[in-house]
Amino acid sequence: MRTPPGGNPLRWSIEIGLGLYRSVVLTGLTCVMALVAVPVAVGGSALAYSWSEGLSAPLAVRALATLGETLVVVLWVAVSLWVVHPLTSRALAKAARRCAAKWLDLDIQVAYRPVPPVTRMATGFWWDGHEYHKSESEARRRAKVHARFHDPQLHWDGLWALAASVTVLPVAALPLLALGYGGYMALTPGLTGYGIAVILAGLAGAPFAWRILGPLARRFLGPVPSTRLGRRVEELEAIRADLTQTQAAELERIERGLHDGAQARLVAMGMSMGAAEQLVDTNPEAAKAILAEARATSATALAELRSLVRGINPPVLAERGLVDAVRALALDASVVVDVLSQVPARPERPVESAVYFSVAELLANVAKHSRAERVKVELSYAARTLTATVSDDGIGGAAASTGSGLSGIERRMTAFGGRLEIESPAGGPTRITVAVPCELS
Amino acid sequence: MRIVVAEDLFLLRDGLVRLVEAYGHTVVAAVDTGPDTLDALVSHRPDAAIVDVRLPPTFSDEGLQAALSARRAIPGLPVLILSQHVEQLYARELLADGHGGIGYQLKDRVLDAGQFMDAVHRVADGGTALDPTVVAKLLGRPNRADPLATLTERERSVLALMAEGLSNTAIANQLFLSEGSISKYTTTIFAKLGLANDDDTNRRVRAVLAYLGADGHGDQ
Repeated sequence: MRTPPGGNPLRWSIEIGLGLYRSVVLTGLTCVMALVAVPVAVGGSALAYSWSEGLSAPLAVRALATLGETLVVVLWVAVSLWVVHPLTSRALAKAARRCAAKWLDLDIQVAYRPVPPVTRMATGFWWDGHEYHKSESEARRRAKVHARFHDPQLHWDGLWALAASVTVLPVAALPLLALGYGGYMALTPGLTGYGIAVILAGLAGAPFAWRILGPLARRFLGPVPSTRLGRRVEELEAIRADLTQTQAAELERIERGLHDGAQARLVAMGMSMGAAEQLVDTNPEAAKAILAEARATSATALAELRSLVRGINPPVLAERGLVDAVRALALDASVVVDVLSQVPARPERPVESAVYFSVAELLANVAKHSRAERVKVELSYAARTLTATVSDDGIGGAAASTGSGLSGIERRMTAFGGRLEIESPAGGPTRITVAVPCELS
Repeated sequence: MRIVVAEDLFLLRDGLVRLVEAYGHTVVAAVDTGPDTLDALVSHRPDAAIVDVRLPPTFSDEGLQAALSARRAIPGLPVLILSQHVEQLYARELLADGHGGIGYQLKDRVLDAGQFMDAVHRVADGGTALDPTVVAKLLGRPNRADPLATLTERERSVLALMAEGLSNTAIANQLFLSEGSISKYTTTIFAKLGLANDDDTNRRVRAVLAYLGADGHGDQ
């Protein structure tokens, strides 16, 4: 027997078996919409067309009635698909993507909308990025539901499910139908020959039918095709949501700092002074002691306010600008930090503050994790971009995992159209760069 | 003493003037902006000046800059800088000229009138009055091959109090030691830091501070 080029009979049978298996999988993955739509359409039309049955009226009226009934059936089909789609599309599209990756080496990356974190507001309510809720679990649940069902990618996946059910499904199911129908014919006396022919045709088609997945997957399984502008709007929306969150958390921190710190101490001072006022005539010694205590309290309140202010707008940054503020940071660090600067003037204030806090965070990370002995901070300005690089001779292995300080810096930088670059092989050295486009004053 | 007060907040300026006058000194000028401060310092040549770091018109470090320029014109002009926050960076800049007559304190210290006026006197006498917070930072920073690392715990605390500007007697009182042992400690400290030993206490303190301030670490 002549072997086909590049193969042998064993290989052909493997191809056929594989093809049949893939056809079964694809049929399963694409039949959901059809399984819902066809019974609804058939049952719906049986019911709807029965309404005008036996109607004796002029032809025009009957035609109108039939048209109305058809529209009702279409509506039912659409509603049933709309109910099934959010529940199934995402899982089906993900499975189809896995198949495409495994069988065709098609690497299709899509991003589903992530569930945003929830923030406790100073008012005690929980903000999920869209609404306020009374409890944290409710806010989390709503954030999850919102992210899942308001995701443009989900609806694009729905379009895949619909398109696949009219393209991939019929083609992939063809070999299976041929086998089934051919088997039935082969067992029917008189049609055996035809039946075997149909089975053979089905087997011959099996290695090819599933390949319809390729072109369809490239067209429909990818990320939502939005314009560049649309994508930018989405990015900006995400940044804004992020900023709202950060800002809320920041305000809350300040509020708590004032409430538990300076405010409480002022109350205590007021009370002490009241007590001293009472005692000043009868027991001047005790009054003096109380006043001394009140003075100590005022000193503590000042110290607390000072550290709070440092976290909001560090005084050196306000007075001297970025370069000197970073030098002051370097002097206060617990490792040896060298600062090199080639920034000729002060950058815009918001950028300056963002870069300052990023460098502060990076230096704190170095002190906490890197076991470094020498750290170098380089500040430079070129091509309208302010760059700060923090490099150390520590153990490396820094990464911007979620919730880490580095991802916080990354978010802060994105808000200004900047970026964060991390070079930190295990074993070190680490070199982290933040770069932000900005103007100098 | 003839004193210049530079502070932009009316209440605090007024309070400082009253305080200084209550201790029997004369306020020759009470100013509230950076340029006025420089004028007052240069034209009055006061025995001591009390200057806020942050002053109009820019509300940056106008007061500090005025003090530094005045001291460039009149070396050793005694200035006590007040601020809501203390920074090693500023302390180093103030100490860099090595002339003494420098104070750098948190505004909180005004709350203790006696200690504050002590600091003013030390500055007027050409000594130093650094805030304990900034001294702690100066001594606490890491440094490779730092002679400070060779000091014992006790020697470090003596050095810290010296940096604040205290005399041997005051240090002895604070540490509950005899004056004799304090002077032994200071001799060891100077030997370890490689500083020539001469008799003038203030000069020695200034030498220690100049050593702390002048190595320019982290500043390039």
